[in-house]
Amino acid sequence: MSLNVDRAGLAFTFKGGMLPMTVMELTSADPERIRDQLAGKLSQSPAFFQHTPVVLNVEKLDEPHLALERICAVCRAHKLLPVAVRGGPDPVKQSAWALGLGWFPPQEIKPRNLESVAADTQPAKEDTFAAARHEETPASNGGRIYRGTVRSGQQLTAPEGDLVVVGSVNAGAEVLAAGNIHVYGALRGRALAGIHGDHDASIFCRELHAELLSVAGNYKRLEDVDPRLLSQPVQVRLSDDQLSIASMS
Amino acid sequence: MAKIIVVTSGKGGVGKTTSAAAIATGLALRGNKTIVIDFDVGLRNLDLVMGCERRVVYDLVNVIQGEAGLNQAMIRDKRVDNLHILPASQTRDKEALTSEGIEQVLDELVKDFDYILCDSPAGIEQGAQLAMYYADAAVVVTNPEVSSVRDSDRILGLLASKTRRAERGQDPVKEHLLITRYNPTRVDDGDMLNLEDIREILAIDLIGLIPESEAVLRSSNQGIPVTHDQSSDAGQAYTDTVSRLLGEDVPLRFHEYQKKGLFSRMFGGGRR
Ligand SMILES: Nc1ncnc2c1ncn2[C@@H]1O[C@H](COP(=O)(O)OP(=O)(O)O)[C@@H](O)[C@H]1O
Ligand SMILES: [Mg+2]
Repeated sequence: MSLNVDRAGLAFTFKGGMLPMTVMELTSADPERIRDQLAGKLSQSPAFFQHTPVVLNVEKLDEPHLALERICAVCRAHKLLPVAVRGGPDPVKQSAWALGLGWFPPQEIKPRNLESVAADTQPAKEDTFAAARHEETPASNGGRIYRGTVRSGQQLTAPEGDLVVVGSVNAGAEVLAAGNIHVYGALRGRALAGIHGDHDASIFCRELHAELLSVAGNYKRLEDVDPRLLSQPVQVRLSDDQLSIASMS
Repeated sequence: MAKIIVVTSGKGGVGKTTSAAAIATGLALRGNKTIVIDFDVGLRNLDLVMGCERRVVYDLVNVIQGEAGLNQAMIRDKRVDNLHILPASQTRDKEALTSEGIEQVLDELVKDFDYILCDSPAGIEQGAQLAMYYADAAVVVTNPEVSSVRDSDRILGLLASKTRRAERGQDPVKEHLLITRYNPTRVDDGDMLNLEDIREILAIDLIGLIPESEAVLRSSNQGIPVTHDQSSDAGQAYTDTVSRLLGEDVPLRFHEYQKKGLFSRMFGGGRR
């Protein structure tokens, strides 16, 4: 009981925690090259770049001095937030601290390659044709997560839950779900949510160009959509058995 | 072990054959032992673009049906060492190509060559699917038009599902976007899709951009792949494309309207 009273007087408590963190493993120290690659990735997977915190791993670099400030600026310009640096010699550690970043000692074990999760193409590995483009993950609620572009002629269904597409749904493609549909990219094809009649299902997308939108069988075609909503991030749901589309910007 | 690269598009007339010939020539000029195979049975024209139509005796179908050996059917390019052509049949019908037959031919060629280019027929039917089935990489040829982009998107879906790599769960076919017949003036006028729109929709890496060019017409009439015409924009653009295929980092050219003022030509041209 007394503990509670004490706690009320505290401004904070420290807690140990494990947070998932993206590690950006630098293989070049050239800010321009980093910029070019980021620009490419940003256009491929805009959903990933949402002020995402990253740890800059510089263990692979053999540079006593690093243009750390410029590298951080390039990251921030692409909506990645460097929060710490891992590895590197003493001067690197000093400049990390000077920039208000944390510093972690180098690690022994290789981190899992997050590349295929974060962005779906791997440039520059010219000699292998390896490039994990699509990654399928069953979601815990019986839904599906699909990473990649759903292309013309393809159909993607989540018959039991929500469907999450980390990428775009192109014209001529169709996505269906028993529950909600989330498209973290442009929705240019057809999207049908609540296919078993769930009236509470919704469709979300970052850019609306859909050929067809349907919730529990109530649908709108592109020509029925208010042109002002086109290219907008929207949510689509039923209100009074009418499909309503609302901008989320 | 050769890399097998299919040149494909869905839509016809976008520049597959032109590109297959130009890229094969460029790869061979860079010292790679290269063969380009025409899969367009009934509509063969790779041999015309390569300027070897008079030397065709046997073709791919003859080889598959056991009527000729590979060495009898392969034509050695007369301009570039290391470059070979395997023509398609003009007289047979498409059913003459079988998956097993093609596999045997490719298994044989893979041992000897560095690169095998497969010039796909148009469409998404059997012929196009056979051309892509054994590929390690694909050059998806796209014009800056809505219909061409849509067809390329469709082809990308097939590459991800209807290829040997996809069926075996191996690393996927490496997909490269090649934009051809790009006309910056018409793009600026809004008559054609721009580069960024195409890249955004198809979401694969851009391997090259070939401008709409008189030189292409001239060279295909002469039967000399445009890569040999290094004074032309298209020839240079194909050379850039080949460099990128070989893993080099080459800046993009020919995507902007060229008639710049003297100033930007003097001061803007010096950058990498
Ligand atoms: N970059 C280009 N500029 C001008 N004409 C082109 C270009 N690329 C292709 N062509 C022309 O377009 C037509 C179709 O090209 P082709 O390579 O045969 O296409 P496909 O094999 O896809 O059917 C040919 O007449 C060719 O000369
Ligand atoms: Mg052709």
